Amino acid sequence: MLKRKRFIFAILAILPTLAIFAYVRLYPIADTLRLSLYQWNILSKNKPFVGLANFRELMGDHLFISALVNTTIIAFGVLILTIPMALVIAALIFHRTRSKMAGFYETAVFIPHVVSLVPAAMAWKWIFDARLGPLNALLDFFGLPMQNWLFDPVLSVICIIILCSWQALGYAVLIYIVGFKNLPVSLYEAAKLDGASGPQSFWHLSIPMLKPITLYVSVVTLVSGFNVYAQAFVLASDAQGAPGRQVRVLVLDMLENSFRNYRVGYAASEAVVLLVIVLVLTLIQFSMLRERGKA
Amino acid sequence: MKNASVTVRLSTRALLMSAAFAGSLICGMASASAETLTVWSGYPEMAPFYEHVAQGMKAAHPKLEVKVEAIALREHEKRVALGLTGGGQDGVTVIELSGSTATRYLENDLLPEAPDDVSAFVKDAKNFDKFFSDTASYDGTVHGVPLFRGQGALYYNTDMFKAAGLAGPPKTMEEYSTYAEKLTKRDASGKATVSGWSMRLSGGGQGIAEKFWINMHQFGGAILIPAGDGKWKTNFANEAGRKALKQYLANIFTTKTVTPEMPADADAFERGQTAMFIRESWVIGDIAKKAPDLKYATAPLPKGSIALPTNLYVVGDEDDAKIGWEFAKAANAPENLVWLLQNVGWLPNRSGIDYSSVTSKQPAFAAFVDYPKGYEFFTLPSIGPIEEILTRVAAQLVVAFADASMASDDAKIDAFLKKTSDEVNTILARENLLAK
Repeated sequence: MLKRKRFIFAILAILPTLAIFAYVRLYPIADTLRLSLYQWNILSKNKPFVGLANFRELMGDHLFISALVNTTIIAFGVLILTIPMALVIAALIFHRTRSKMAGFYETAVFIPHVVSLVPAAMAWKWIFDARLGPLNALLDFFGLPMQNWLFDPVLSVICIIILCSWQALGYAVLIYIVGFKNLPVSLYEAAKLDGASGPQSFWHLSIPMLKPITLYVSVVTLVSGFNVYAQAFVLASDAQGAPGRQVRVLVLDMLENSFRNYRVGYAASEAVVLLVIVLVLTLIQFSMLRERGKA
Repeated sequence: MKNASVTVRLSTRALLMSAAFAGSLICGMASASAETLTVWSGYPEMAPFYEHVAQGMKAAHPKLEVKVEAIALREHEKRVALGLTGGGQDGVTVIELSGSTATRYLENDLLPEAPDDVSAFVKDAKNFDKFFSDTASYDGTVHGVPLFRGQGALYYNTDMFKAAGLAGPPKTMEEYSTYAEKLTKRDASGKATVSGWSMRLSGGGQGIAEKFWINMHQFGGAILIPAGDGKWKTNFANEAGRKALKQYLANIFTTKTVTPEMPADADAFERGQTAMFIRESWVIGDIAKKAPDLKYATAPLPKGSIALPTNLYVVGDEDDAKIGWEFAKAANAPENLVWLLQNVGWLPNRSGIDYSSVTSKQPAFAAFVDYPKGYEFFTLPSIGPIEEILTRVAAQLVVAFADASMASDDAKIDAFLKKTSDEVNTILARENLLAK
């Protein structure tokens, strides 16, 4: 009887939280799914049900395809760049924990993550500037050809990958450091007694034992990579004239369809595609890392 | 006795609450008696003008409070879309919108009709040319008050022209290219350091397509032309489109007078980083502020220009909205329009006003008001998907501007134009606007 009362009390206690979660998290997702099946023009009174017509149109829309390809390249590019770098940097910082500079290292790596995105992107825009940027000045110093970083179709995507990785790195390093701090010291001591070097311990002990952390960090990095928008927007924006090549990404395409073309239903179908992609990739990551973890 | 004391205590509390309620009500009434309105603008440089208009209304409305919210055009368009559909704005809002953008709101009854006195003011031919009153109307009913227009002309740096041995502005599109070649300054390696002719080649949004349309207009082409019965058709997969695109490509890849990464537009012109470019009249005011010593002149375009009228619309409760409409009319007062031209540079649409006090002092305005006979204007079609069409054409053009192989291959240019035209037709067909 007491157990039942406690159970009811627990349910009642978490009910408000659940209700808020359902309203702010689940309802928008469900509503996006619903909107994707309608010709839902933000201004029009008539919003007919069109079934999967929005999705069919998406498949032939070259702007959407281009946005999807760019976003996928950026998301995986950021993942590939961030995870190994974060792991190595976290290991270096962890092994320098007793150093007086440990706090400085951690802060220095984490700062880009907390810096406001727009000014940071503006700073990178200057770094990538074809004429005045320090990056091209450096290339020129070493006798290498200067590049049109923000205008070349390939380089402009690489610029966004670099900017996103720079921002994501701090968070990933911080999480990895926490992971390192929780690894059992005895194992490393045993490995050392067996004659394992530092890099060998890192490769054969740290990396396998940090798999849950890697799973978490890679999911977060990949999901935020697929949601890239502001970086692409700022790097290509300017008050006038010659801003930069607009790298079309999915969120940008959605915003354009929603609030410039007023086709909210169509934009919702893009959001559904993005949701499915992110869900599938997350499931794949979970299954890959879990299976290997078991083995 | 106990009950009585409770009653007394309750009454005291009730009295205090009533007093607080009455106090807040009085405060609310006091604030309500102050007339307030908000102005939404898509041009930050227009903020001082609206503040000037508000200041002028103070005599008749001492308690009038005008809040001017002027932000970048694309963000303004998003704000209007969300505000008008979601009821995001409180009180009276004066909204600045181009006629072509306003159409989709008018189609869906989201912008109210103007009151009779305002309608009569707008329809009066002494005040506005029919072109302007038509763009402020929908199905013959006035919904907005015309204010200013975007109209293009050539800006050219007279010092650079003199140094290149050019006596005057180019008169034909062919001359634009030959002049650009002569005006381009290069470093020792031959790389352009000052563009001969700044063209819009990059960035997001529809600006690239609009600028392309202006150039193509000189060759007789258009992205869209009316085909009767409210239907439209494309008019650029043809010789005019080929000539316009070929000129862009020739300047980028053949003569290399301009590149996408070069500084461009008004900023570049003001800094001496380009010798000439096509832009609206607001640049005159911008130059006066940022580069007052710049030696430049303006000239009409070879055949004609875009004329993009912007109107003021008022949203709010019918009674409260009166102050909004009064503001829209006050903005069109002669002294305010002269102030607008002098201090901001956008061209007022109202007729019968003596602007000579400004134009005589600033000859650069001549190209915008003293254009040759037969000068042909075009405007953006007032159809719902116009922005989507222009944005998609712009996205295609950016790809073309990066394709050097197209510069000397007419067949490739034609295929590109056909593909882009088909894409526009698909949008028109989807919206039931495509001419058969």
